[in-house]
Amino acid sequence: MHVAWLYLGPFLQGTGVTLELTIVSTVVALVAGILGALGMIHGGKILRAVLVVYVELVRGLPPILQLFIIFFGLTQFGVQLDAFSAALIWLMVYGAGYAIEVFRAGIQDVSEGQWEAARSVGMGYFTTLRKIILPQAFALMMPELTNFTVLQLKNTTFVFFIGVADIMYQAQQGAASTEQPQVMFVMAALFYLVLNGGISRVAALVERRLTAYR
Amino acid sequence: MSLFSIWGQYFPSYLQGLGVTIELTVLSLALALVIGFVLALMRLSKVRGLVIVATVYTDVLRAIPVLVMLFIAYYSLGAIGIKLSGVEAAVLTLGAFYGALYGEVFRGGISGVDPGQREAAAALGLPPSSVMRKVVLPQAFLAILPPATNRFADIIKDTSLVVTISVADLMLQSYQAISATYRPMDMLGLAAIMYFVVYLLVSRVLARWELNVQRRRS
Repeated sequence: MHVAWLYLGPFLQGTGVTLELTIVSTVVALVAGILGALGMIHGGKILRAVLVVYVELVRGLPPILQLFIIFFGLTQFGVQLDAFSAALIWLMVYGAGYAIEVFRAGIQDVSEGQWEAARSVGMGYFTTLRKIILPQAFALMMPELTNFTVLQLKNTTFVFFIGVADIMYQAQQGAASTEQPQVMFVMAALFYLVLNGGISRVAALVERRLTAYR
Repeated sequence: MSLFSIWGQYFPSYLQGLGVTIELTVLSLALALVIGFVLALMRLSKVRGLVIVATVYTDVLRAIPVLVMLFIAYYSLGAIGIKLSGVEAAVLTLGAFYGALYGEVFRGGISGVDPGQREAAAALGLPPSSVMRKVVLPQAFLAILPPATNRFADIIKDTSLVVTISVADLMLQSYQAISATYRPMDMLGLAAIMYFVVYLLVSRVLARWELNVQRRRS
């Protein structure tokens, strides 16, 4: 039997881990992104400064260095995270930094008049946000949000280095024990290609439903 | 040992690592710019085959994680007889991936130039190569610059992936310093400061340059 078939099981297990990391971290990062973006737009001076520094740090430091700081660095202060938690926390922190910028641009693209009109009919801040602003912002931001999710999936590959058993990790194990890296890493590439194709497909469906708000 | 004396002790090896990081960045950027320009020309050409090849290349490379590509370049190619050094594999990978991104940036910039400009130049009798070089590209340059410089800062960060294939860049130096000192946060902190300074320098200097170019043009 071809080695690719032998490793299909481990690869599927890895896919489960990769998807779990991607989905959980993306959802958390998106919620944090909305809150952070609102802080950037409507927050006070101090809150805005803190958020700017946070975003700059996340965007300015290499991803793998950030992961190492959470996994290895924190041990110096007695915080010992298991590899999966460290990976998930890093993906959330990292994703949130990028999501804040995406939502800031998206929310600011919705015209100021929409806020004013909602206030003039007596709507509160969060109702306006939920019913008026975010639906329009989401429709405008769909391409960026799709990109964002694809990036989150691609970023999960770094976590194999600290021992999280994602697709990348399974490929590496397979390459080491079969001595056929030409099969294992190409197979990993195909898995990621299919997963990213799936994300784009789902995004296209969501986008079609959201265009009603445009 | 105090923080600063331990930083002082490791600073020379970190600087060496930074040199490797910069080398990787410059070589990858050069390759990416060439690939990007070729891809943009292919996608804007009227030959269908070229358009399809360039489009498939771009879509596939953007969907596969860079780390997977790096491992394919380093391990998989090695297994079928194409042995690349770590630096070569990294430059090839980052060049190929960022080439796809730059291709999109260049295509956007070039197709954003008013078609009337091209027609006017052709009407004046300029040969096609001069139309591109003297009329279209200088105008496209303005639109290309901001997204192109953003990508440049990303390349610097992505060079850190070579730690996984043991190229002695800044990231690997700090990784090794962790196991030698058992002071992970201190040693990663120094690397973080160095990366961040480079990131700030590059993004500020490039932003200044962008502003200058825009001012001179307007």
